[in-house]
Amino acid sequence: MSSEPQRPGSREVHDYTEEYGYHSDQQSLRLRRGPSRESNQNQPQFDWSSPHEEEDEEGSSGPPRDLRATPLPMAVKRAIRQVQQMQVPVVSSRDSWKRKNAKSLRKLKDSGMGFLSFFSLWSKTLQKIGGNFGGGVQSYFLFLRFLVVLNFVSFLLIAGFVLVPSIVFRSVGAALVNSTGQGACMVYDPNPEGLVVFYNYFLDLLSGTGFMEYSYLFYGYYNNTMVEDQNFSYNIPLAYLFTTVFYFVFCLICIIARMGTAARVVVATGSSTVGDYSMIVFTSWDYGCLGDRATKLKQQNIHYQLQVDLEEESIKKRAAALTLSQKIVLYSLRVSMCFVSFGLIIAAFYGIFAATEFSQVKSGQGQGGILGLLFEYLPSIVITAGNFVVPLLCDQIALIERYSPSTTVIVALLRAVFLRLVSLGVLLFTLWRQITCEGAENTGDCKLCQYNHLLYPCWETRVGQEMYKLTLFDFLINIAVLVLVEFPRRMVVDNWSNKLAQWVGRQEFVVPANVLGLVYGQTVVWTGALFCPLLPLINTLKFILLFYFKKITLFHNCRPALKTFRSTTSTFFFLVVLVFGLGLGTVVMIYSLSEIRPSMGCGPFRFFPSMWSIVPRSFHNLSIITQEFLFFIGSQSFSIPLFALSCVVMCYFVALASVYGKSVALLRAQIKLEGRDKQFLVKQIEMLSRRQQILKQTAGASS
Amino acid sequence: MGNKQTIFTAQQLDSYQDCTYFTRKEILRLFDRYRDLAPQLVPLDYTCQPDVKLPYELIGSMPELKDNPFRQRIAEVFSDDGEGNMTLDDFLDMFSVLSEMAPRDLKAYYAFKIYDFNNDDFLCKSDLEKTLNKLTRNELTEDEVRMVCEKVIDESDLDNDGRLSLEDFQTMIVRAPDFLSTFHIRI
Repeated sequence: MSSEPQRPGSREVHDYTEEYGYHSDQQSLRLRRGPSRESNQNQPQFDWSSPHEEEDEEGSSGPPRDLRATPLPMAVKRAIRQVQQMQVPVVSSRDSWKRKNAKSLRKLKDSGMGFLSFFSLWSKTLQKIGGNFGGGVQSYFLFLRFLVVLNFVSFLLIAGFVLVPSIVFRSVGAALVNSTGQGACMVYDPNPEGLVVFYNYFLDLLSGTGFMEYSYLFYGYYNNTMVEDQNFSYNIPLAYLFTTVFYFVFCLICIIARMGTAARVVVATGSSTVGDYSMIVFTSWDYGCLGDRATKLKQQNIHYQLQVDLEEESIKKRAAALTLSQKIVLYSLRVSMCFVSFGLIIAAFYGIFAATEFSQVKSGQGQGGILGLLFEYLPSIVITAGNFVVPLLCDQIALIERYSPSTTVIVALLRAVFLRLVSLGVLLFTLWRQITCEGAENTGDCKLCQYNHLLYPCWETRVGQEMYKLTLFDFLINIAVLVLVEFPRRMVVDNWSNKLAQWVGRQEFVVPANVLGLVYGQTVVWTGALFCPLLPLINTLKFILLFYFKKITLFHNCRPALKTFRSTTSTFFFLVVLVFGLGLGTVVMIYSLSEIRPSMGCGPFRFFPSMWSIVPRSFHNLSIITQEFLFFIGSQSFSIPLFALSCVVMCYFVALASVYGKSVALLRAQIKLEGRDKQFLVKQIEMLSRRQQILKQTAGASS
Repeated sequence: MGNKQTIFTAQQLDSYQDCTYFTRKEILRLFDRYRDLAPQLVPLDYTCQPDVKLPYELIGSMPELKDNPFRQRIAEVFSDDGEGNMTLDDFLDMFSVLSEMAPRDLKAYYAFKIYDFNNDDFLCKSDLEKTLNKLTRNELTEDEVRMVCEKVIDESDLDNDGRLSLEDFQTMIVRAPDFLSTFHIRI
């Protein structure tokens, strides 16, 4: 990286202004010579001898690209371009053809990018949000857009391989595969009997029962059709299984690809502690910030950031100056507060556990009406209440712990993530307990069918319904908070010039809490995708509506946050948390595929001992060669060398990265040394010139 | 669409396209924005390359610039006479550097020039103090300003001469991932 965007180094330099009679008396700041010799290095120098070599070296990316990146005034650039065009170089026709090709390719690429940007969703809105509220809030909306696209593509995947074939085969009337099984296990009648009261439709919509239960929405409606024609065969259960597995792999690949771009940026910037103040002073001002109010807020923001940093410095100094006894007191206080926060989280988990058990028992009894709806939604209500109350209490605890401000934010975030994801896990654990009679599949109610067929004639649909209810409830709560809390708060603050109202102030858009909400919603979809195939579509719609609602509340009710969230490291952090959610979904999927017996009364896997067992069965229908090939890939003689090779490759990359880090440190030290050398030489020169002057004076005096 | 416009010759538009990061449509749109600032001063026919300069007051009143605390420095850096009076060439140049396609080195060069208030090609303490005061609307105390300036020079001055040269600045910018997105005006 050089300071001169053109050619560095020791070539002869022609000063364009003097050679071509450009207005040499104009005080253009860009071409002015500085007061000292050293500053000559900072002038942009255009080397006239280089164009020919440039064309030889860089054939296709010719001079026009370099011209745009030179920091010269426009008129100079145009003159240079004219001269370059007039210099008809003696090039072969092949070279000129290459150059013409490159130029037209570039024009095509530019118009292609323009066309694609038309398709990129909401780009103007995101620009406006970034300009008014900063990079942190914009990263939340970018994350939301990423999730919308991910869910939509997943839905297309599922629709293409599972939904559409099911619809086609059902309408064609393809025969079901039947088998003898325990009669009692196969009882499943989700259709309501008799006259259904009108409001029940609405309640059914909200809880996924009734007319919604036996539909394409849930697992129970799909059949185990295996169509085998002369040149066409389609196995619905196999398709269902593979589509779900591929859906998880696809999501993982998308997230990792996106993390790659974010991680490259994080690694390139190196340690973030060095250069904090320089970063704030030189790069925090957003030149795209529009409007007087936004500018004032941005300035207050920068002011606050600097004050916080200076305060952190003084806290660190104070912390280092603590006596031993004070340190012991502080650390023991922190440990005890850690236990207290853990205790709160465990209490929330127990609440969720109890609520889920109660709700499952009550809905098994089939209570109707509003009370029944309340019982159905009890786990969702308890989870949401826990996710709201516990972080508030943890914030109070953090005040006692007295960490530095940045550590406090990270600790609060980690606690909130732990709470959200593990509370979902507790809900699933409670369901599992009831479905499999606490793991002992050959006792009690589970003896007949290896699952609790009395409570759950079709347990997959039931799990799918729980996930559906969680998604819906999450969305409704978001809307309710918007309508019932944020809009009234703004109206109160704006119209009531009371001291209390001013102290409460307008809503702030808190990015971490909102992102955790998105991660939670996406994790619910991942855990439920196996049991409710249309859940990605519902989630896509939910996130699209959420985008618009959040945008409205952002622009109408919120003021920009005083404490900003670093936008580049935070994108990486969001994606890491999303991977944790994906991990939870994967664990649930793997366990359901392999350990629990599918329901015998419904679904595409009804007569298999486990969902995964369809793969070995279909395996034997493949040709011998394919079977042998797949056996080979799975065997040890292939996987162990592969594993060893990947270890070697990984070690190579780790070594490469450490070498680069070391050479960067060495170069930095070298620059420092050169600076000191320069100062030393300058002092020597001054000393020598002074001595010469003294000699001249004495010589002059003596003569 | 099409080649019906008579403001520029085809060669002029081509050369603008090669010298800035804008497409043909964007250049015409920017010309309209330039002309809107002073319709009576800017002619509709640029084929004969008239020498028209808009005074700084008009440039500084553009909605994209009027609230920016550095607008005067931006105009001074990109103008030929160093006073902020800009021709169309300077105008296009300015927005090309501030667009999202300009590379980091180019932006760093101009950012350095913008923050160099006394035009001595170094960011010395007084330059940093002025920058800081513009960033925080003079709300930091003297002590805080002094501490922050000392820290900035500590962190970024690699050749230890007590002030930041262009190389120091560019080395520091390489480690700032936000720079490309903040040094960016959407027009």
